[in-house]
Amino acid sequence: MEEVELESLFERRESVRLTQENAVFSKSPGGLISLTLRHPESDKPDEFFERVIPLRGFPITDPEQFISIREPDTKEKGRGAEIGLIYDMKEFDQATQELIRAELDRHYFTPELLKIYSVKEKFGYLYFEAETSAGPTSFVLNNPYSNFRTFDDERIFIYDIDGNCFQISHPEKLDKASYRRIEIYL
Amino acid sequence: MKLYFDLPAENARAVPEMAPGEKKMYCLPYNFQEEKIVNGYMLFTNRRIFKLLKGQLLETYDVSQMSDFTVEKMFGCGGFYAKVNGSTTCLCLFNAGRNLPRYTVIASSFENIVKRGDDRILTSSEPERFCPKCGRPFVVHTKLCPFCQDKKAIYKKLWGMTKGLRLMLLFPLLAAFISLILRFVVPAIQRVAIDDYITNPDVTDAQIPGFILIILAIISCDLISRLIGVIQSRISATSANRFTLMLRTILFEKIESLSIASIHKKSTGDLMNRINNDVNVVQNFITNLLPTYLTQALSFIVALVILIWMSPLFCLFVFIPIPFALIFIFFFRKTMTRRNIRAWVLDRRTQAHLQDTIDGIRVVKTYGNEERAVHDFTQDTGNQARQDESNAKLFDTVFPFVGFVLHLGSYLITLLGNYWVFNGTMQIGYLSQFSSYSAIIYEPILTINTIPRNIAAFSTSLGKILELLEEDPDVYDQSVPDFKRIEGHVSIKNMTFGYDSYNPVLENINLEINKGEMIGIVGHSGCGKTTLINLIMRLYDVTEGSISIDGINVKNMSQNNLRSQMGIVLQETHLFSGSITDNIKYASPNATNEEVVRAAKLANAHDFIVRLPEGYNSMVGEKGYSLSGGERQRIAIARALIHNPRLLILDEATAALDTETEKIIQDAIDRVIEGRTTIVIAHRLSTLRNADKILVLNHGQMAEFGTHKELLDKQGIYYKLVMSQVRQSQEK
Repeated sequence: MEEVELESLFERRESVRLTQENAVFSKSPGGLISLTLRHPESDKPDEFFERVIPLRGFPITDPEQFISIREPDTKEKGRGAEIGLIYDMKEFDQATQELIRAELDRHYFTPELLKIYSVKEKFGYLYFEAETSAGPTSFVLNNPYSNFRTFDDERIFIYDIDGNCFQISHPEKLDKASYRRIEIYL
Repeated sequence: MKLYFDLPAENARAVPEMAPGEKKMYCLPYNFQEEKIVNGYMLFTNRRIFKLLKGQLLETYDVSQMSDFTVEKMFGCGGFYAKVNGSTTCLCLFNAGRNLPRYTVIASSFENIVKRGDDRILTSSEPERFCPKCGRPFVVHTKLCPFCQDKKAIYKKLWGMTKGLRLMLLFPLLAAFISLILRFVVPAIQRVAIDDYITNPDVTDAQIPGFILIILAIISCDLISRLIGVIQSRISATSANRFTLMLRTILFEKIESLSIASIHKKSTGDLMNRINNDVNVVQNFITNLLPTYLTQALSFIVALVILIWMSPLFCLFVFIPIPFALIFIFFFRKTMTRRNIRAWVLDRRTQAHLQDTIDGIRVVKTYGNEERAVHDFTQDTGNQARQDESNAKLFDTVFPFVGFVLHLGSYLITLLGNYWVFNGTMQIGYLSQFSSYSAIIYEPILTINTIPRNIAAFSTSLGKILELLEEDPDVYDQSVPDFKRIEGHVSIKNMTFGYDSYNPVLENINLEINKGEMIGIVGHSGCGKTTLINLIMRLYDVTEGSISIDGINVKNMSQNNLRSQMGIVLQETHLFSGSITDNIKYASPNATNEEVVRAAKLANAHDFIVRLPEGYNSMVGEKGYSLSGGERQRIAIARALIHNPRLLILDEATAALDTETEKIIQDAIDRVIEGRTTIVIAHRLSTLRNADKILVLNHGQMAEFGTHKELLDKQGIYYKLVMSQVRQSQEK
């Protein structure tokens, strides 16, 4: 164990650019992503990672670019290191893209708000009843004015007290009654 | 925190028979499945894990085939993972805010089962953050649910706060009541004056004294109402300010009593806002708006009753325009609220932007971005100006119009009244009295639109204040007698701590520090060094294990007594506005000048202080002298030494200084550690050359512990750290 710790402290692994040539992603028996990393330029043997975690570098503006492929965090090694970076998902075949995208979508779970039935304000907390792309739900915001985030492309993100995030990709397409209910907080 | 939720009946039916020796341990909800929000349950036994959804058993996992139970926090949700037959599997996804701490306990419990066969049921000491009745979150840090909370209890608390001010708060009501009576009396007297004297053709000289009496009565009514007004304003001034004072004091006391942990979760601006703005809003509502609303409601009702009593038919005319005005106000209110909030948001945005750019003006100038900053600001402030202008225009157009609509009623009355007066069926005085009363009715209607907004603002501010007042302190002081002077023996046993219980920062630390020893703590950033000394100072309480000083658990010492016996130099040296002497004497205000000088000399600060134009009386802090980082650092060291503590804690005191200053401070430290137990967090290992022992932390665990020489011989982490620093200094 001691050796592993030392390594993580001083010999951080060098993150590489992942391409179709050096990275083979596959679905693990547990339904997650495994990675075989080749080192074509050196004679180092292939590395196999039972599970890797993809993270988006720009989850909001460029979700398909700069995907960091990492080892999971563990108690023994602490924070998982980055194995490599996918510069653009397009550099991979369709099946790989879908595999990674499915995992990313699960990680960045951001249901779309389709209809807002009611918004009640009590003691400075906002209580929502809404229909989302993930089904009907209710959620609570504890500080209305700092938990709405709007982007240049008009998109709206709403962060609730539990750490969930809901989005409205096209506010102009939302029905009027729903939009009215949140308009003042934007 | 609850770890066994009741299974809904349909799911309970889907659970298979328990095997012999199998026991149900935990049952938790999970919230997401295939990108849908669901109401599923995970039932955990010591042998199996069942995943249930809508009465169906989706999965059964055999615990004997599993290992590596972990939870992961993702963006917007959390996941519970384990290796099943050696392959990592996501068992379920859950709402992180609600269930992450629960699943963390489950993960460690199952680690116990698979690693050690220990299937004891674990509990979680973390307080529940959700209302057991409705499932909505409590107001942060409290046990108040805005929905289920008995409203009476909240108002009772508020009533409790008004203690000592109640008579004063009731006075406005009384005053309003008296002026209300006068408002009804005066028109009645006027009516007599008009009907019996002014319009009476048969007035004789003998009636003149009566007329004078009436005039005097009217004048004295006016005088009385003005007098009452003056008294009321004076009393309101007192009650309003006392209420503010009282509320601010209890809030500030509360904030000072909160643990560092909960203060850290709040921003300074937010806390200041609560003490300033929220208190004002609540005070204004209670001492000003509430009495106004009550008297307005009362005068409305009284006027209404009198009008109906005087002439029900006439009364109808008064009411003709009211529904129109009310409907209009009702529909306009939403627009108005929206526009007001919009203006408020824009104002806040401008403020924030302004503060941001002025704070960062150096950066703006460094990058030559003045033009863009001006452009951005103009845009913000322009938006705000446009919104304000448009609001003002709209409101100033609409309200006179509503006023006009309401007044249509009085035109109708005048028209009809005059007709009756000419007819001889009504007297002029009667008509005048009636008109006066109808005006009383219209008054509250014009302000009715502000009531909902004011109530909303009040309840938001009240919520924020209660959020603070109701917060349970997480570091409790035992009521124990102050103990004798600390000797300085520190002992840490099996200590584990995490800021969130599910994420330990320090794990299983065992440490003995003898009296008078100097201990150095090293490790990469974020490994828990600062946390460790925070725990020794008892800014937080440990999650497991114990820390004791001279054999007494720090949990059994009062925080004040404990810290007053330590000398602490923190990473950030905050000096308060005041003189250097004030700052050095901060921990012991009664110290003599001699003691101040002695401490400053020990800290190597005396020399530069004396050279300042005003010596020890020089001002520092925001308005005072600008001192260099090293000088501030040395004043902080002197401050820590003023009461000659037996336990001294230095946190990276030399990290950001140049070599020469570092040497001066180094000398100071070498001198001050004499005869004290000293704990030093160091980035520069040269600080530690005199350390008796060195603790190397790695990812929150004790990696190495021993003397400088022992650790070098071991050629472990410390050795590599030393080597890399030697290499660095050679490269320089």
